[in-house]
Amino acid sequence: MSEEKPKPPLAGIIYGEFAYWIVLIGMVIAIIGAGMYFSGAGYVDKQCALDNFWDGSDAATVWKNCANTETPHGHWYINKLSYGDGIAMAGIALSCLAAVLGMWGAFIGMVREKGGIYIAFSLVVALVLTASALGLVKIH
Amino acid sequence: MISSMESFWKFGKHIGISIVLLLLFSGTALAAEDSTMGMSPEVFFVVFLLVTIVIGIIAVLGGVGGGVVFTPLMMGFTPFDSYIIRATGLFVAMAGALVAARPFLRRGLANVRILFFAAVPYSIFAIIGALLAGYVQETMGEIGELYVKLTLGILVIGIALLILFGGKKVEYPDVKNVDSFTERMALAMSYWEESLGKVVDYKVTKAPLGILLFCGVGLISGMFGLGAGWAMVPVFNLVMLAPLKVAAACSKVLIGIGDTAAVWPYIMGGGIFPLFAVPSMIGLIIGTMIGAKIMIRVKAGFVRYIIIAVMFGSGIKLIQTGLSGLGWLR
Repeated sequence: MSEEKPKPPLAGIIYGEFAYWIVLIGMVIAIIGAGMYFSGAGYVDKQCALDNFWDGSDAATVWKNCANTETPHGHWYINKLSYGDGIAMAGIALSCLAAVLGMWGAFIGMVREKGGIYIAFSLVVALVLTASALGLVKIH
Repeated sequence: MISSMESFWKFGKHIGISIVLLLLFSGTALAAEDSTMGMSPEVFFVVFLLVTIVIGIIAVLGGVGGGVVFTPLMMGFTPFDSYIIRATGLFVAMAGALVAARPFLRRGLANVRILFFAAVPYSIFAIIGALLAGYVQETMGEIGELYVKLTLGILVIGIALLILFGGKKVEYPDVKNVDSFTERMALAMSYWEESLGKVVDYKVTKAPLGILLFCGVGLISGMFGLGAGWAMVPVFNLVMLAPLKVAAACSKVLIGIGDTAAVWPYIMGGGIFPLFAVPSMIGLIIGTMIGAKIMIRVKAGFVRYIIIAVMFGSGIKLIQTGLSGLGWLR
């Protein structure tokens, strides 16, 4: 065992910082959006959604009954930011983007540190997460 | 003595309140199968916030992630659609893991090489699991829902048994042989161990088996909306022989990456509703923070048995619902 404190890898630090701050910002936005949702009207009618949850309705039925629309297979909240639930969902989505952006940061960190095969691994993970976030992998 | 009595009293009070809330919630939820109990969205928000705070506290004290308690409990004891619960469960597990990852990475406790190596199979299979969940929801309808509940029930009882009899984890496993593939991957690293006041250099082994296991763990995590710390820590510590602290740190960071991959197909499938996701997220994170503070002051070993009991209860309820719905049980 050596005695000098090892320096943590840059890629890990970048990923950790990105993930932490972005998820926190996303959460704050989600909470603000939820506050607006409860104090006004939402894109999805909240009482209707709650009734449908308790009835055991599936997601498609909740969308149909409470937003009068088919299940939105995509980033529906982007066009609904004038509603509280649209803002809350944007905050949730931003939280879910934290690891995606963090992995791209980690990839850059790996390149700067000349991380060998791990540059490829971090790139693959970043691409997988990005494809997932863009909705490129879906069954519909 | 007085101080320990006070701690015990305070701890007992927390647990008492927790159990009462859980029982209240279970009763409310069961009764609510027929009606909404006249619950307004605002009351729903507050009730779910409190319930998820309790889940967060108990989960931390029992040494598991909130997601693995949240999903089976909600699916077992609420009439909510399982796809919506799994989507929300995955989201809250992901959010908690992302918040917790930072200190592990800053201290170098989470090994980025192991992380990125394991994240490839884990994230790919987590997406496949999430897509499979969407496929079952769209093509099998009610029958699919019942099969998911039945399978999750069996899985949750298996996890409870794993926690109960899973063997003793090893703080610093002795790695005698490193296979050639793992050697070529250069996964070995070192970290500063505060309690020993020195650097710990460690090796890992059996990376190919690790890849296979991470495929399975990813699939289960994505399909059932569970955090996967219960499976990842044993894979890192008992199979790949990473030190226990490294295994726990890597597991926490990896949940954030893998669950991010899996949560997006659920978002695209319209499975996340802020009305349900926001109180669950806030509650679990607050509960986790409170639990972490309580854990420093009290010996909470027996809470592990509460977790096991909750998981057995949820598992049995899920199996019963699945079997009854499928007509295999009268």
